[in-house]
Amino acid sequence: MLEEAGFVDVRIGEPVDTFGGAGGEANARAFAVFGHPFLARKPA
Amino acid sequence: MSQQTLVDAERLRAEVREKYRAVAVEPDARYHFHTGRGLAARLGYDAAIVDALPPVAVESFAGVANPLALRTPAPGERVVDVGSGAGFDSFVAAGHVGPDGRVVGVDMTAEMLAKARATAGVLGLGHVEFREGLAEALPVDDGWADAVISNGVINLCADKWAVFAEIFRVLRPGGVLQFADIANGRPVPPEALRDIDLWTG
Repeated sequence: MLEEAGFVDVRIGEPVDTFGGAGGEANARAFAVFGHPFLARKPA
Repeated sequence: MSQQTLVDAERLRAEVREKYRAVAVEPDARYHFHTGRGLAARLGYDAAIVDALPPVAVESFAGVANPLALRTPAPGERVVDVGSGAGFDSFVAAGHVGPDGRVVGVDMTAEMLAKARATAGVLGLGHVEFREGLAEALPVDDGWADAVISNGVINLCADKWAVFAEIFRVLRPGGVLQFADIANGRPVPPEALRDIDLWTG
């Protein structure tokens, strides 16, 4: 989606267990939801 | 660019605003997500940076990962924080860009904006500013930003194409988007996508 929006050099970082131990953990586990950092660049 | 969505964008926005109004005024209440210093530690933020911030700057933090994990803003850069909330990521970015840089946080929730502005005053951060606005209509000039950051916000926007187009507009050529957000490893069925409660909680 980022590339279709015009960004280049897209990188996705390691997942983090954002919801572990929180109230939303069950829903997060059901859909394998994790937080990620993303990096992308607008072409020069 | 626009996107057909399975939820009503205005209703979703209202639900998100109400949820994060609560996080601003009752940061210690129980939510479906973690908040505050414990969350910042879980997400891998630099402890020295977080420890240096006063409680009011951290307690309403409700991000999903660290948008600065893959790149640190450089001194002098101009940064836009989309959905800046109570300002935690803006304050972290402000420390990296220093007084020669600028940070503009944008948020739609009045209570979050008030808290962020008050905290910026407490911290004496003259190079940090918070503006009211939407991710789909950022109150920032074309090509102003060297970097756009965001944390756990884009997944809450019904029209993600509009958000990315707006971020693209405010970035200078060669500028970077560095954001944190959630991603699902299993497909979400259409009936769940129509359930607005699952978007916000």
